[in-house]
Amino acid sequence: MRTGSALLAATICGTWAVVYLVTQVVVSPPLGVGTTVVAGTAASVLLVLGYPSALRGPRAPLALRRRLRGRPAGARPAAREGRGPEEGRGAERSRRRIVAGHRMPLRSGLTADAARRTATRLRPLLGGDAVVITDRELNLAFVGPGSDHHEAGGPVRAAAVRSAIGKGRTVVSRRPSAMGCDVPGCPLRSAVVVPLVVGSRVVGAIGVFRTHDDPAPRDQVEDMASILSLHLELAEADRERKLAADARLDALRAQINPHFLFNILNTIASKSRTDPDEARQLLLRLSDFFRYAVRQEGQLAEFAQEYFFVRTYLSLEQARFGDRLRVRYDVDPQVLTAHVPVLTIQPLVENAVKHGLAAKVEGGTVTLRARVDPLTRTTTIRVTDDGVGVAADVLDGLGGAAPGRAGDGVGLRNISERLTTLFGERFTLDIQSTEGEGTVVEVRVPLR
Amino acid sequence: MEYDDGVDEHDTPAEVDAAFRTLRRVAITHVVLFLVAVLGVPALSLTLGWWSDGQLAGGMSPGFAMAAFGLYAFFLVIGLAAASLSSAVEARMLGGRHTGEDDGFPADGDRS
Repeated sequence: MRTGSALLAATICGTWAVVYLVTQVVVSPPLGVGTTVVAGTAASVLLVLGYPSALRGPRAPLALRRRLRGRPAGARPAAREGRGPEEGRGAERSRRRIVAGHRMPLRSGLTADAARRTATRLRPLLGGDAVVITDRELNLAFVGPGSDHHEAGGPVRAAAVRSAIGKGRTVVSRRPSAMGCDVPGCPLRSAVVVPLVVGSRVVGAIGVFRTHDDPAPRDQVEDMASILSLHLELAEADRERKLAADARLDALRAQINPHFLFNILNTIASKSRTDPDEARQLLLRLSDFFRYAVRQEGQLAEFAQEYFFVRTYLSLEQARFGDRLRVRYDVDPQVLTAHVPVLTIQPLVENAVKHGLAAKVEGGTVTLRARVDPLTRTTTIRVTDDGVGVAADVLDGLGGAAPGRAGDGVGLRNISERLTTLFGERFTLDIQSTEGEGTVVEVRVPLR
Repeated sequence: MEYDDGVDEHDTPAEVDAAFRTLRRVAITHVVLFLVAVLGVPALSLTLGWWSDGQLAGGMSPGFAMAAFGLYAFFLVIGLAAASLSSAVEARMLGGRHTGEDDGFPADGDRS
């Protein structure tokens, strides 16, 4: 589907024309100017507000499912699993609050602060007088009577908690002696302690204590523990995903082709005799190139920085290829401050030079086009070359898991995986190529 | 002694060309906005009776107020916006690496 601001502008113009016709020409006598202006403005506002939604497509069940799948908390299935007929209304309410996405503090991991906020929130919901959340060694948070000696940050005192962590199953104690607190005068008399499990590992426990001999409902505490465990698992998955994204970026950094370095150094060596000034410039550019590649941190960078990296690279290649490599940049002013994934554009340009133009005797032109569409909130980057193109079977290979040409598919796959990590399904990476005519690679990412 | 004319030799013709075309886009947008405002006032006078007959503070019609004050304010705003955007474009699209970012590597001048 065709998108962009021009389409919207045309639609708005057409709408105003229709409004004018209806209010001034069709009806007799014509309506007032104020009415026409109000109607046209209202229609324009609706179009502008509705346009991004129309581009996103209908809010069908599929879209809804996709949105749910993409939601970071992703805890709805757990709520469904944990539902049981014997649950009280309080537990149902509490679960709804807990699964409401970002409000679950443990979603960011098992930290003292997250544990304190979770325990404070859960104490009235689980019907206990005191709630403790621990890791395997320490009380991360304790809320309620007994906090003077079951202090947060201190060692796990209650034997019931240590037992639950050690055995990896629920421990219910109905007597102070069974609960095992070694401090005389401890007001806590009964406990339900459930381990928190990530995968098959026990990472801590949640305990609900009461100051009388009737312990809190076991099912309720176990359900809540399973939800907390799920959140901890999701937090760990997030951490692993971030580590994987960092590793992919490092891999791309390490993938800077040594042949590129050899070729550039040879070029500089030859120029150092004939044109020392240019050789110096090339050395400075080479230094800039590696400085940027090594230094760049984080997953996103301002487009202007990536543009600098790309033009540094292309100027080095131009020194090598001479007139065979022509470059054309077409950059929208608005895109310069947009944030794009780091080390994404340069590999695309490198592919265009290495696989598109290097093999073509007469050379060709690499075009980098960057645009921002403020209405659809997207940044579009297109790298075009008029080189030898890619064969259809190789192009099919690039679309799948298998790399096509050596080095090419790896870079594209790396970029695709990193974009998936960063944007989920909200990006496109299109490759179009005709053998003998050239290749167009277009990346469209959300505007940041 | 080598004469330094202050011109940054860092930029290639393609980069200068790109910066020029981006600045041209800024300038064209500026001109379009300018023309829309300049032509919009008489167009409103021709199409909207209220534009000429309405009374604002001091008995001024909206068209008169726009011609007397509004247009100048608008020109000032779009002029400043175009100038600052052009400066930002030039700074981002031309020149060497960004300064002021200490990355632990020696800069050009530190090499000896």
